[in-house]
Amino acid sequence: MGDSTNIRLNFRKSLGSFSLEVNCTLRTKVSAFLGVSGSGKSTLLNCISGTLTPDEGEIAFGDEVLYASASGINLPPEKRRFGYVFQEGYLFPHLTVAQNIRYGQPNPRKSTDAITVLEIGEFLQQYPKELSGGQRQRVAIARALAMEPRMLLMDEPLASLDSALKDRIIPYLHHVKEVFETPILYVTHAFSEAMALADEAFLIADGAIMASGEPHQLLTAPSAMPIAQMTGVENILFLPVTASDKARGLTALEIGDQSLIIPYIDVEVDEVVPVAIRAEDIMISLDPNLAISARNILLGKIQCLDVKGDRTWLSILVEWHHLAVKITHEAREQLQLREDLEVYCVIKASAINRLWD
Amino acid sequence: MRITPTEVAALSLSIKVAFLSLVIMLPPGLLAGWLLAKRTFPGKALLNTFVMWPLVLPPIVSGYLLLILLGRHGFIGGLIYRVFGIEIVFTPLAVVIAVSVISFPLLVRGIVTGMESVPVELENAARTLGASPVKVFWTITFPLAYRGIIGGTILGFSKSLGEFGATIMVAGNIPGKTQTMALAIFSAVHLGEDASVYRLVFIATVVAFIALWLTERFTLR
Repeated sequence: MGDSTNIRLNFRKSLGSFSLEVNCTLRTKVSAFLGVSGSGKSTLLNCISGTLTPDEGEIAFGDEVLYASASGINLPPEKRRFGYVFQEGYLFPHLTVAQNIRYGQPNPRKSTDAITVLEIGEFLQQYPKELSGGQRQRVAIARALAMEPRMLLMDEPLASLDSALKDRIIPYLHHVKEVFETPILYVTHAFSEAMALADEAFLIADGAIMASGEPHQLLTAPSAMPIAQMTGVENILFLPVTASDKARGLTALEIGDQSLIIPYIDVEVDEVVPVAIRAEDIMISLDPNLAISARNILLGKIQCLDVKGDRTWLSILVEWHHLAVKITHEAREQLQLREDLEVYCVIKASAINRLWD
Repeated sequence: MRITPTEVAALSLSIKVAFLSLVIMLPPGLLAGWLLAKRTFPGKALLNTFVMWPLVLPPIVSGYLLLILLGRHGFIGGLIYRVFGIEIVFTPLAVVIAVSVISFPLLVRGIVTGMESVPVELENAARTLGASPVKVFWTITFPLAYRGIIGGTILGFSKSLGEFGATIMVAGNIPGKTQTMALAIFSAVHLGEDASVYRLVFIATVVAFIALWLTERFTLR
């Protein structure tokens, strides 16, 4: 993407005792801001969209300055043309889906495209309260896209949906990313969403950007462990399929020289699939020869240990993948776990979930 | 039971005054309601106090203050007398003014309640979709606050219909000219015209019931 679609964020905003300070340039098509609630994500989006005015600094999109404290520029939200998708959707309850989409006086072709991509054509005459949470969120995305925004701002668009629904919406977001030129700023507390969609991610905590890079780099770097702990992360691995056995109901993935057994999925050999393992679903053993029903016993090495609250967090290097593991302090003491110790990660096949299609 | 021309005049004056005061007070009512419900600005508490003042003042006191203000030697009344050569006190216009001042707080209260129930996030969403603040008001805030607005309107209207204290102070009690329904009942009781009292009380009761019932219908979900 050329410079014309860069967004430059360099501003400061204090709200009571909280203060947000950012200085970054978003260059990729989908940028994610990752952080827990209270880290300043919504303040960031509100400053960009113009519903909140920063204390000082500059916000510019390409050559166009939207806010600059030095020169007194501060475009109102209606002049900024950002398509804001809220966590709660905020569809207008007194308007039908079609009227909601028309509210931003959209480009007719864009609204048709948005209705097609998000598959909401059949709800157009219905009112928001007649729709399910997932449908409402699709309408909210279509409404924002239809006005031909310079950029989509998505504030935890999946957070109010249950996990089954999330997995169904993510393909729509992928589709939006493919079909529309519009760059996206995606704010979330879920690593899985950032990894599913973003080209670049920014870790944000206590109102400041702590790190940035490709989402999977951020997740697997030991330095991201504090964030992983805060966000209740799932381990997400992109692994190629080595074999699939429908009769036994199992599929094998390659993780370096070892293999990871997951429930059967209908995928060609060598295709790379994203899978998620929750940090608390991984057990640690010092002995590989366990008589145990779990299908996976992976050799790894402890990179670091971190005591946080009533749990110990481990970062374990398995081949070249870092796994975040959450165990009790008793387990840590009993096994005498320490850095550089070789351990076995025991994972049930059924605790490994394939992410989006 | 036959209704007398004086009673008809009083009833029709009450209804006309109530409607007129509503038409006059709705625009400032919407503005004040929007300011109080949606804006933060220095002096907001003061504005609210000023708007709600007549609600806590005895109507007689409001009426007396209006009389002083609007009289030929009053600040406003004197100015109008000098410029237009007309007197306000003891005219139907004085009834409209008295009734408007007294019913305004109820009207605003309803509007504020209605507008406060509209989430600011919906209004912000509309702004990001390119709507100016004026468009947001008419397409989002107003339609979503309509229950509260209608509730305030009906309450204010009912208050106007029955206003007594302020009216008698600034407009007097002139049959056929400034005598409203409430004043007509007062006079009829004093003169011992029981039949007239019953008729007027019956009408007043029914009107009040209908107004309250309409309020409930529109404001309850």
